[in-house]
Amino acid sequence: MSKIHYINEFDEDRTFTFDERIALLRKRKIVQTEEKAKQGGADEDDYGLIVQDEFVYQLKPNHPNGSIYGYRAWTENYCSILAEHPIYVDALDAFSAKGFFFLERLRPKTKKWNPDYPYDDLQKIFDRYQIISGIDNCHHFTPDIQIGLDLGWGGILRKLKEQRALHDETHHEFYDSEIAVVEHIIAFIRRAGDEIEALACQEKNRQLAENLHTMAAINHRLATEPPKTFREAIQWNNWFSMLSRTYNRGSSGGQIEDLFNPFYERDVASGILTDEEAIFYLACMFLQDSRYWQLSGPDEHDNDKTCHLSYLALDAADKINIATNLTIRVHDKLDPAFFEKSVEYLFKNKQGWPRYSSDKALMEGFMRCGYSKELARKRVAAGCHWMCIPGMEYTMNDTVKVNLAMVFQVAFQDMMANADQTRPSIDALWEQYRKHLKMAVDATGRGIIHHLTHQTKSQPELILNLFQHGLIEKGVNITDGGANYYNMCIDGAGLAVAADSFAACQQRIDKEGRLTYEELTNHLDANFEGENGEYVRQMLFHSERYGGGGDSLGDKWAVKISKLWTGLVRDLVEQHKDNPKNVNFIPGFFSWSNTILLGSILKATPNGRKAGEPINHGANPNGGFRKDGAVTSMCNSIAAIQPGYGNTAPVQLEIDPQIANDPEGVKKMCAMILGIMNSGNTLLNINIIDAKKILEAHKDPFKYPDLVVRVTGFTAFFSMLSEKFRELVIERVKAVNADLEY
Amino acid sequence: MDCSWCHNPETLPHRPVLMFYENKCIGCGKCFEVCPEGAHRIVDGNHVVDRTLCTSCGTCTESCFAGALVMSSRKYTVEEVMNEIRQDKLYYDLSEGGVTFSGGEATLHMAFVEALADACHEEGIKVAIETNMAIPFYHIESMLKKMDLIMCDLKHVNTSIHKQFTGLENQMIFNNVGRASLLGIPMIVRTPLIPGATDSIENLHAIAEFVSKLKNILYYELLNFNPLGGSKRIAIDAEDSFEACRPFSDKQLEEIKAKLEDTGVSIKVS
Repeated sequence: MSKIHYINEFDEDRTFTFDERIALLRKRKIVQTEEKAKQGGADEDDYGLIVQDEFVYQLKPNHPNGSIYGYRAWTENYCSILAEHPIYVDALDAFSAKGFFFLERLRPKTKKWNPDYPYDDLQKIFDRYQIISGIDNCHHFTPDIQIGLDLGWGGILRKLKEQRALHDETHHEFYDSEIAVVEHIIAFIRRAGDEIEALACQEKNRQLAENLHTMAAINHRLATEPPKTFREAIQWNNWFSMLSRTYNRGSSGGQIEDLFNPFYERDVASGILTDEEAIFYLACMFLQDSRYWQLSGPDEHDNDKTCHLSYLALDAADKINIATNLTIRVHDKLDPAFFEKSVEYLFKNKQGWPRYSSDKALMEGFMRCGYSKELARKRVAAGCHWMCIPGMEYTMNDTVKVNLAMVFQVAFQDMMANADQTRPSIDALWEQYRKHLKMAVDATGRGIIHHLTHQTKSQPELILNLFQHGLIEKGVNITDGGANYYNMCIDGAGLAVAADSFAACQQRIDKEGRLTYEELTNHLDANFEGENGEYVRQMLFHSERYGGGGDSLGDKWAVKISKLWTGLVRDLVEQHKDNPKNVNFIPGFFSWSNTILLGSILKATPNGRKAGEPINHGANPNGGFRKDGAVTSMCNSIAAIQPGYGNTAPVQLEIDPQIANDPEGVKKMCAMILGIMNSGNTLLNINIIDAKKILEAHKDPFKYPDLVVRVTGFTAFFSMLSEKFRELVIERVKAVNADLEY
Repeated sequence: MDCSWCHNPETLPHRPVLMFYENKCIGCGKCFEVCPEGAHRIVDGNHVVDRTLCTSCGTCTESCFAGALVMSSRKYTVEEVMNEIRQDKLYYDLSEGGVTFSGGEATLHMAFVEALADACHEEGIKVAIETNMAIPFYHIESMLKKMDLIMCDLKHVNTSIHKQFTGLENQMIFNNVGRASLLGIPMIVRTPLIPGATDSIENLHAIAEFVSKLKNILYYELLNFNPLGGSKRIAIDAEDSFEACRPFSDKQLEEIKAKLEDTGVSIKVS
């Protein structure tokens, strides 16, 4: 368990440079991570959470099932937490703002949705197709932190009170809850200032005591006032992050240059900030939380946003060098020196950051939904695989998944059940697939509408509501019309399993006649265990796979499924056109960390995958997709299946560090990244992995406690991952390291 | 040339050869059923390929989905290869990179290499070649002139040692490298670091000195020992003389590099 206060660790005369403080903080982070891993770890973002045992909160349920629902219960519990939550203070750090847990996870796991709003009929369909409906999921859209930087908590409180006076009593529950929340936040930050001041008086080291005195003064001011300086802006941001996480884990970042460069430039011009100091503050921000930040991209005149602060942000991430989620938005005018520097850090640190998004593909896609270029440009990378306009959209990003492989299984079983009426064939299978995928997508759409209609009665967004443009003026929760746009994300998962299964059936049964559908069914039912089972499995597994670069049967099926998927999801817009929220539906391909879950109850599939094995990762092909594991071939295949409406189907690359171990290699890697981006791909996640090192770390996770990998959209300490998840990363490394011995 | 450490030994016969990876065999027995020569046999409980009977016809590979039996090579037309190459055109354009003809020894397929080089140039794709230069210069000169980059090996300055490990003396190779350097095409000269064969400082220093006097050299490259050939040798039932050898460590490579720097040539290790 970690301590909550780190003071008096050093002699009173010792002095520290900013770099020394970063190094010491990093060391502490690694130790804290080991402690977290020993507590069981987690297959998700790091969140910067501290594992401690001083403060345990007991949920105060308002429902007999032990859960909490609606404005009042969430408000009361959150305010109770803030009243008691200890203040984490590290005298080395520039900021105070560390959280310990999420209120939303204190609820009973199966009781998140308010039972007064059932959806049993939909659940039957969700179960049949293994749909993760997103119903009851919170946050997963992006707040506009600029609102907070402009108003401060005091300004937000004033605005809430002013608007309450203008609205009738139907809105008072909303306002009263939000006002109570903000009042408790103000009291909490004020208390933080008091406690930090008390610790400052105890700290013996003169430099660190002075740091704490400054930190205390900043927090006393920030309890109500908006930030004035660069340091204050980041402290304000860190509080927002911690407070939002503590409520319901929600906290995506934004565009670093937009939010912080005005403060940086002002402070530098005033002579109160050096670059070293700015790097230190940014490093402390990355240390505080593994939130998603975007760097670069075009401004309103299509010019590059890259500025000196962009470079400092990279330098800060380099110095703290932990699980950092930075996305570089690649566009035509991207500063080449900045781009090259980002690739240098990617290879130097081998920690999975930064990653790269394609401005062109994302802009064109979002505009295809009917949005303007101005809005499309504002959509920043702010989550695992997702984009969002800060303060403008409600999206349910990354929470809704349809298992395309399970839909295949249902379609295959349906075809075989009717074999006496329609002879099984690849055409008959496709017809069944079309029918079942439509049923799955339609049910998913209805589920999203159900969520939007009733989510407030389960869990209102009490924190993120405050950072939406126009929401406080409307006086409603974001799911009740508080957002400007409803762009609902629906992701397909298991594309490669479905595509390869179609390809295997077509090649081995319909084309080559090596097998019948009846024989295949028997082998699938037996999980390839019976006579000739492994032979048939190998035959199927080595059919023409998705990932071949465009010409393989698997590639053709993947494109065909993608077009069907995209069309069906877009059809939902018309189906729900009468919904007053003007709901839009945007298709993508992403599994997040559900690859294990979604594979767990899936039976053996015709691509040679055995029952219970994970499905493919995101939009990536299955392992062994091509004998040479050619990266460009895989990227071309993924480019070809992009749905093209502004959401992503990311490329996940595992690359050997030797590829770019010199300046020439870095330049080549830059060219490759540009190639991947220019070919129509939307998002690129890269792991630079020393294959032997990661194999050793898999055997003994604590051998390399600071090893960070990009798991899916997020980066994580490898030691924090469960064995199954570590295996998934290993499998991806194996897929592109044909020579590796295991 | 027949380098005893060759990491693509399956290309030495200059024809498709059956390769057998026993660790991938699932014991399905299909190869026994389909082999027209009865070359698959069980000896002492192990599946072996009787090389005296195998004609490398490839029939067994068509039913070996586990990938235990594969042919070392297959025939392509220029257009078939171009179809593969075109998929990566975007990357070539952005990186100013291109296609490298490698091997085995690419010059064994001279006419094909020349035709493919022409096809690539027609579509604006640069080409490079990796070659051992062990062929009379008049045979390769026109082909080399089509290249945008030449990568060639110099393995040993001592001709008898060179012959011991590669089967050929070295005079023609050194001469060819010298003549190629006058073609005005960028060149990279490399030496594979083979423990006990090429890795002496005396040898490497002498090669580095030779390279330092050549024109159009981008750099002299030391290629770390690659053990990949071992499993391939086993797959074609050939002897692996370097089974016990391991790649040099980064530290060792840097030490070697440091001892060659007085030659003045730019050195790269990989």
